[in-house]
Amino acid sequence: MKVRTLKLREAHKPASNGSPSFCSVLWDQQAHHLVTASSSDSAISIHDSLLPSQAPKILRHHRDGVTALAISPNSTCLASGSVDHSVKLYKFPSGEFETNITRFTLPIRALAFNKSGTMLAAAGDDEGIKLINTIDGSIARVLKGHKGSVIGLAFDPNGEYLASVDSMGTVIYWELQLGTTLHMLRGVAPNTGTDCSVMNVLSWSPDGEMLAVPGLRNDVVMYDRDTAEKLFSLRGDHLQPVCFLSWSPNGKYMATSSLDRQVLIWDVEKKQDIDRQKFDESICSMAWKPIGNALGVIDAMGKYGIWESVIPSSMKSPTEGISNSQSKNSNGLVFFEEEEKEEEPGPSGSLSDVGEDSFGESPPSRKRLRKQSVTEEFWEDDDAFEEISLPSKLKAQKTAATKHKEGPDKVKECVRNVTSLERPKMQDAFQPGSTPAQPGKRRFLCYNMVGSITTIEHEGYSHIEVDFHDTGRGPRVPSMTDHFGFTMASLNENGSVFANPCKGEKSLSTLMYRPFCTWANNSEWSMRFEGEEVKAVALGTGWVAAITSLHFLRIFTEGGLQRHVLSLDGPVVTASGFRDQLAIVSHASDCLPSNDQVLEYRVFNISNSTQLLKGRLPLSPGSHLTWLGFSEEGLLSFYDSKGVLRVFTSQFGGSWVPLFSSNKAKKSDENHWVVGLNAGNFFCITCKKPDLFPQVMPKPILSILDFSFPLASSDLGADTLENEFMLNSMRLSQILEQMEEMTRAGLDASSLDDDAYSIETAQDKCILRLIASCCNSDKLVRATELVKLLSFANSVRGAIKLVTALKLPNLAERFNTILEERLLKEKGEKDATVTVNAKTDKYTARDVLGSKASPAPIIPSASPHLSAPPLVKKAKLQDAAAPDKDNGVKVDAEDVNKSGEVNNDKLVEAKKAGKDAAEAKSKTHRPFNPFSKTKDDHEKGKSVAGAENQPLQRPSNPFLKSKIK
Amino acid sequence: MAAQSCSQFHVFSAEEIEFIAEDELIEIVPNMRMDQLNLIRGDFGPFLPQIATEVPLWLAVALKKRGKCRIRPPEWMSVEKLTQVLEAERDSEKEFQVLPFHYVEISRLLFDHAQDDIPDIYMVRSLMEDIRDVRFHKVETSLETFDGRTSAVQIRSLSAMEVNIVRPFVARALQAFQKLGNMVPETDSVPSTRPQGTDKAARGRRILRGR
Repeated sequence: MKVRTLKLREAHKPASNGSPSFCSVLWDQQAHHLVTASSSDSAISIHDSLLPSQAPKILRHHRDGVTALAISPNSTCLASGSVDHSVKLYKFPSGEFETNITRFTLPIRALAFNKSGTMLAAAGDDEGIKLINTIDGSIARVLKGHKGSVIGLAFDPNGEYLASVDSMGTVIYWELQLGTTLHMLRGVAPNTGTDCSVMNVLSWSPDGEMLAVPGLRNDVVMYDRDTAEKLFSLRGDHLQPVCFLSWSPNGKYMATSSLDRQVLIWDVEKKQDIDRQKFDESICSMAWKPIGNALGVIDAMGKYGIWESVIPSSMKSPTEGISNSQSKNSNGLVFFEEEEKEEEPGPSGSLSDVGEDSFGESPPSRKRLRKQSVTEEFWEDDDAFEEISLPSKLKAQKTAATKHKEGPDKVKECVRNVTSLERPKMQDAFQPGSTPAQPGKRRFLCYNMVGSITTIEHEGYSHIEVDFHDTGRGPRVPSMTDHFGFTMASLNENGSVFANPCKGEKSLSTLMYRPFCTWANNSEWSMRFEGEEVKAVALGTGWVAAITSLHFLRIFTEGGLQRHVLSLDGPVVTASGFRDQLAIVSHASDCLPSNDQVLEYRVFNISNSTQLLKGRLPLSPGSHLTWLGFSEEGLLSFYDSKGVLRVFTSQFGGSWVPLFSSNKAKKSDENHWVVGLNAGNFFCITCKKPDLFPQVMPKPILSILDFSFPLASSDLGADTLENEFMLNSMRLSQILEQMEEMTRAGLDASSLDDDAYSIETAQDKCILRLIASCCNSDKLVRATELVKLLSFANSVRGAIKLVTALKLPNLAERFNTILEERLLKEKGEKDATVTVNAKTDKYTARDVLGSKASPAPIIPSASPHLSAPPLVKKAKLQDAAAPDKDNGVKVDAEDVNKSGEVNNDKLVEAKKAGKDAAEAKSKTHRPFNPFSKTKDDHEKGKSVAGAENQPLQRPSNPFLKSKIK
Repeated sequence: MAAQSCSQFHVFSAEEIEFIAEDELIEIVPNMRMDQLNLIRGDFGPFLPQIATEVPLWLAVALKKRGKCRIRPPEWMSVEKLTQVLEAERDSEKEFQVLPFHYVEISRLLFDHAQDDIPDIYMVRSLMEDIRDVRFHKVETSLETFDGRTSAVQIRSLSAMEVNIVRPFVARALQAFQKLGNMVPETDSVPSTRPQGTDKAARGRRILRGR
């Protein structure tokens, strides 16, 4: 075998005493640069491989010799470890110093990046291997187990394992996910003792299938990836132990250097050495050029060189098939990941699992679809035949198949979502306001009106951040490293709760609560569940709820006291808390064949230990639940995958009102991701289709949307008004109910009065506009119905004026009738209340006043013939009307005096209307009636009485009306 | 005479123009809760965390400086939009693309105070500079077409800053033309023949129009 010579150039000064030092060499990804370092030199040199004559770039940041170098796989980041105990990161290729990413108490000996470059492993004479997140520099884990100093580290290319070797020759396989030792091989590698110039390396084959470790018999031993069994060894002409080895990029060849100053090139498959080179000094480090057929080497004296055309041209190049092998590799990786995900217990689906599951499942489901459609074609061919022979059963199947035909679109739509695609599948549990896990991206565990909890996973560890929308108010919560892998979280003003599903047998499902501000130290607590898994969590004032896989509802107090354990009816879907109330949605039964989820909701009051509500959850057909929560007023509401928001109303014995439909929204290219709601609007994040959920970055922005009933398109053409009308009446009923509740509870409900009043006025305005549009489109009956719904008598008067102006005398007369009836009725009611009321005096006085002013009795029967607007008076008394009394009298008097003049113009109008009507009807009545127009002022509770100089034979009378509110 | 015309065609300083531009509305996303602000020019707010609202630029900048909000860069400040505008500017010789009247000032203020809120800020900044250069160049070349007969200039979609830069020159040039054309000896006629368009432009119209 020929022996060639290779000229080496000095890169680093040898140690002053001439003793060998450990030097390292590295290529960058593009093979543009060669990085060298020496343990006797504090400088790192970046050589330009294209211009070797150019002086190298020198990085002098370490205070002592550099013992380890590592470059991230994408060559953007260089890490160096030194005898000065620090690990530094640099930008590459610029060499700009970035950060001291970690420090040890003793010299560093080895560094390694994982394949994605997100994690750096560092080790040395210290006890323990540190796994460092390169993004934020946090220490994700410390792996302890080696007795001697760790001198070699290698991440498995598939990202599952880390292999390490120490100076005693012990090799350890670490499982990265859990940080546990998988295999420990004692004394398999040469014991290097305290010789710092010798590095024992170990290296994974590029496909990750085996690990090469220098052996005891001057050989290299290959160990199996998973079992750590010895596979074979490369044994040949090395006379002393192997001190460095390097796989060619395609894994076909290996270069080994030994203390006998030889470098051998091996064909790994044939287990044969194919070339060798002898050097003056032992080679401490080698690196295959990523592109091309060359090997960079550096010896113990700091001299480096590039060995060109290492592999004879008659053989395959060391980079040949690299793309193939890489793609195969990455395929393998993906495949493996999928497998891993599918291995995760399906029903243990927290949302993250769900998202992954559907990712993983979608391709097979498509396959299935194809099969389905084939069968369907077959059916279609034999259609006639079959329809005769096998009637109903097959038909049913066939319709099912046709449904599947629409599948592909659905698949696309739902691929990221929870829904079942094929057979109806019960939806998995989820947390409201969370987004599915996406590899390498931050995701929301919880997003609500208070703030957000986000998490990102790095190599098995998660980083959780809690942010408040209102940065001024919320406390600053430090980000935390999450060793549990939390997938569920909930947040309110006082604290946050986290939970993780159990992964395998070793990690139990854990529930953790972190209060934000408390007077006691260390008041966060956690609970572990054996043989049970948390499925959903919720948070309220002073309590934490967790619903588990055993269908237990567990209630804890804020301090961590186990308060209640209840059994629920079925598997939980989601839960949401608001103050004292806890809402839980669970499956009531398996899905219907029509793909409808059968869900049930229950609302508990935790502090009173009562159940407030229970019932079926009305989802849109074929949809599933995507959000559940309470409005700011405490109304339960939910959102489904068809984009319909429903809010609970106590009307009709407790029903759900659809208040928004995404399909009917103005912009159809947006999806709405609901965050919260209040009485009049709801807050959501709009996502451009086909995104169903927002990303953490850029920070999502809430949009305020108005409620809109899914109204039928009416012939009126005033959809917005109709919608407003419905909304107002709903809100009014809510407020009235609330007031009733408060009065029942003995609280002062007067604070809600103003709300009610303002809604009433808004409603009247809306109704008046509706009346106008009804009149314009000639829907007179509808207009009359609307008039009956007006809250204030004055509004009715306004309506009369309106229709008069619109020249609809007929209608005006009807309105008059309505007004009169209404006033009579109210009078009757008032009289009733007056007699019942203990505090009659106040009202009696008023009555007396009224009767004085209008001595003529009321004759209701005459009202149909009434031809002119009657005299009316409406006074709204607020609770204390006493001070109004005098005032009222005064105003009355004034009004009486004024009425003739003040309302002149109005009178004319009404008169006209009245005249027309009267002429049409009968001429026995005088068309002209004096009346007083009163100004109704609710807020002042002003009472205005209209008393008039009465004409004779008038059936109508001015009368006093007090409405007590 | 020269001094006189200088005072006549008063030029705003860049700061003054920026001050005026601070009244433009811009969308912010506050991260605090605050009641409605009742300002002379209108009511702004209420401010709710994470809910976008429109406020004057000066308020946005003030809040931003206190870390109370994120500024949402206006739609025209996106890379795509600016690239489109730049291309269109380069394509058409005469016409100006429609950009906000104060685009120079707004973009400048945002670059100064809200770097972190603008995606691809380097790209946006360089596009902005290109657009400005192209437009100024266009203005200059279009002014070259002046001749003795020109008594008015009409350029559509010119921005405040651009108007401000050319105004003194154009106004004076036109005045000079007018004077030479009329050959009226009395200096009294000067003020009356002053192009009114410049006044209009000074009042914030988009069109620099002479009569």
